[in-house]
Amino acid sequence: MEIDIIIGGPQGAGIESAGQIALKAFASHGYEVFGSREYHSNIIGAHSYYHIKVSERKKRCLSLPVDALLALDAESLFTHFMNLKDNGILIYDSESEKTLEDLKSMDKHLKERLLKFFESNGLEVKSSSVVHFLKNKGIEVVALPVKSLLKEVLEKVQTTSIAKVVNVLGVTALLQTLGLEKDSIKEAIEKQFGEKARFNLIAFEVASDYIKNAKDKLPKKKSKRLLLSGNEIVAMGKIAGGLNFESFYPITPATDEALFIESRKLELKEPIVTLQCEDEISAICMAIGASLAGARVATSTSGPGFSLMNEALSMAIQMEVPIVVTLWMRAGPSTGIATRTGQQDILFSVFSGHGDAQKIVLCSGDHVEAYHDAIKAMNWAEKFQIPVIHLLDKHLASSITTIDDNELREVKIERWKECKDKRNYRRYEITEDGISPFLRIGEAVMVNSSLEHDEFGFVSEDPEVREKMMLKRKRKFETIEKEIAEEEKFVRHGDGDLVLLSAGSTKNAILSAMEILRRDGINAEFLQLRLLSPFPKIKDLLEGRDVICIESNSMAQLKMLLKANTGFDAKTIQKLNARPFYDVEIALAVKKILDGHESVVVSFGS
Amino acid sequence: MEADYRTEAWIQWCPGCGNYGILLALRKAVSELKIPPEKLVIVSGIGCSSRIVYYIRGNNVHTIHGRAIPVASGIKLANPELEVVVVGGDGDLLSIGAGHFLALGRRNLDVAVILSDNSVYGLTKGQAGPTLPYSVKTKALPYPNIHERIDPVDIAIAAGYTFVARAYAYHVEKTKDLVKEAIVHRGSSFVQVIQPCPTYNDKMTPKSIESKISYEPQEGKIFLGVIYKIERETFEERIEKITPGYLKNPPSKRS
Repeated sequence: MEIDIIIGGPQGAGIESAGQIALKAFASHGYEVFGSREYHSNIIGAHSYYHIKVSERKKRCLSLPVDALLALDAESLFTHFMNLKDNGILIYDSESEKTLEDLKSMDKHLKERLLKFFESNGLEVKSSSVVHFLKNKGIEVVALPVKSLLKEVLEKVQTTSIAKVVNVLGVTALLQTLGLEKDSIKEAIEKQFGEKARFNLIAFEVASDYIKNAKDKLPKKKSKRLLLSGNEIVAMGKIAGGLNFESFYPITPATDEALFIESRKLELKEPIVTLQCEDEISAICMAIGASLAGARVATSTSGPGFSLMNEALSMAIQMEVPIVVTLWMRAGPSTGIATRTGQQDILFSVFSGHGDAQKIVLCSGDHVEAYHDAIKAMNWAEKFQIPVIHLLDKHLASSITTIDDNELREVKIERWKECKDKRNYRRYEITEDGISPFLRIGEAVMVNSSLEHDEFGFVSEDPEVREKMMLKRKRKFETIEKEIAEEEKFVRHGDGDLVLLSAGSTKNAILSAMEILRRDGINAEFLQLRLLSPFPKIKDLLEGRDVICIESNSMAQLKMLLKANTGFDAKTIQKLNARPFYDVEIALAVKKILDGHESVVVSFGS
Repeated sequence: MEADYRTEAWIQWCPGCGNYGILLALRKAVSELKIPPEKLVIVSGIGCSSRIVYYIRGNNVHTIHGRAIPVASGIKLANPELEVVVVGGDGDLLSIGAGHFLALGRRNLDVAVILSDNSVYGLTKGQAGPTLPYSVKTKALPYPNIHERIDPVDIAIAAGYTFVARAYAYHVEKTKDLVKEAIVHRGSSFVQVIQPCPTYNDKMTPKSIESKISYEPQEGKIFLGVIYKIERETFEERIEKITPGYLKNPPSKRS
């Protein structure tokens, strides 16, 4: 069983709460959920929506079209009515008739596309004709008289302002129509709002009385598990992995991660210093300083902030400082679409920093990997005294999923190779593996230098010293390549001659697409890259096989990286509209490539 | 002893450079304060004066242009027991690094900042620094300076530094006393050290500087000494408030 849902409404009207109530209710019913919030860079008024998949086993991706649409305003109805399956369910506000002209916040380009659709289908441009159109297609329509229901709530609570419960009216109607038990819905609302749930519970009663019960109740399974966003799970990984210093500058979609750590500070056994800095340059430099003094550090940012960090990143490489940069990619170039997703910083992260600046780039495919990678990144940074970039994206950052406790076990903490002899300490001692024993600032006398230096850290431009240090850093990177296990570099999923090659948050959409393809008799292997730098040795695996790179950027950056490292050419499936990949579109695109296309751009999403 | 803080490195400054005075004053200050080299941390950015990290024994960090203050702040936050001193030029601290200079004052973190102020970019051969007055034409400039100068002391006080002083690099003993006071002060402290650059600044010569300075407040003269000093809660104390246990168990102490 799978149910796909969209909940849409204006930003500021509690769409996120409505989405989370739905996730909590299904999760407490025993189902696996994955929910993702799509929103504008805006505080109030612009359209936002929550996209959910409910399933019996873990899927952790999104599909289109959907089984149910809850449209809390007319803009949501106009934006998403074509996302509904022919046997789907629509729940909408039946007391608000709007034309496209009434929708001031709707993007004019979408309006133009819709006008064309209405013209060519001979429809009047108003919400009731959309509803009519859907009814004619056989879609089940549930009319929700929002104003009247609000009035009813108002009479019961005897206050004047309760506009904020529209989301609860809607989501109650949605969940009850889909067959959830009343108790589960109520419990989810209580969990969502805590002590502030009073008005919301009255709204719940009103909507629940109004909606007739579903014919078939969804079976309830007992289970207890965590419901966490990507931002939260990375923060938890850092805490579990012994982080004690995180500096940052506010930026979407990274900030919620640092704020999660801040919000948990008082519950922790060991204090963690979190600090909002004056800019991202300061954020990375503070982390570098703290690390030299022996703190276990990370900083968190997205593309624009990472651009500012580049000079200092190169310093950390030259000075051999352990730091983790958690890089949450978002849609660029420049400010681009700050609240939407993309994988446009693949090459940027691998080649970041000036002057032969080799660093580790680690890329997570989903929440559970992100948790373990957050710990691994700190381990590697300290063990090898090198920056580690933990590459993630907005899609992972803001999507929430069910996670079992046992998926988060096995936390192992590793730190540097410590120096035993504190007298005559050589900060950059030449060693066979390229790694010099570490002492914290304050434990000896030393110089850490961003300039080329000798073993003691003293500046030197001597050609022999220079060459030795270049070779030392090179050997260190070779040690990293050797010591990181094969299974940490890439993962092979499924089997088939055809290779789907990708990295990052595309993982579960690709796995789900492979199921769809298998049903159509097409078998493929998914080669998921976990490490982008050093690049895994996969050349032999690809010999004689067709490769399709699946990625969210226009330069085909993974394809370029693959070509540079293995010499292999690949075909591409790319997404450019700043929305996440959906399983169905990947499956369709693979078929197109098998039909002879060199590259396919997929465009699902609102 | 001052000599205990010397290193073997060759000092690369030009003859007559004001940095020699600052180096000697700083070595004497930490020696008189009995700060062991293991607890001393000198952090610098890029520029002539930033080379000082190689000339004093400590746990020193030579960072990148303009970023000494945030690196120093990270070190101090991770281990509040260390004695952290930032040394930098006017271009480094007040042009490219100006944002960090303000932020440190706002925090009142216990770090001392020593400004080697010669109003020119020496290492790149004499471009105008942020403290060079309007219309002055030093010898490397093709035409007179078209920027107004900023006053480091005014900015430090406005930013919230709780100790602000001015010194002159050729007066080593007096500079040492002010640097000592700055290091001992709890909170962000700042010493502007006026410094001749005999190679590139042919306008602000020792003679012209010495004719304008005074250790007594005097109309029309540049005052040297402690200009501003108050007590305010330090940043470390504020962090302790929102992170109980921090001072006893700071990040640097974990195994």
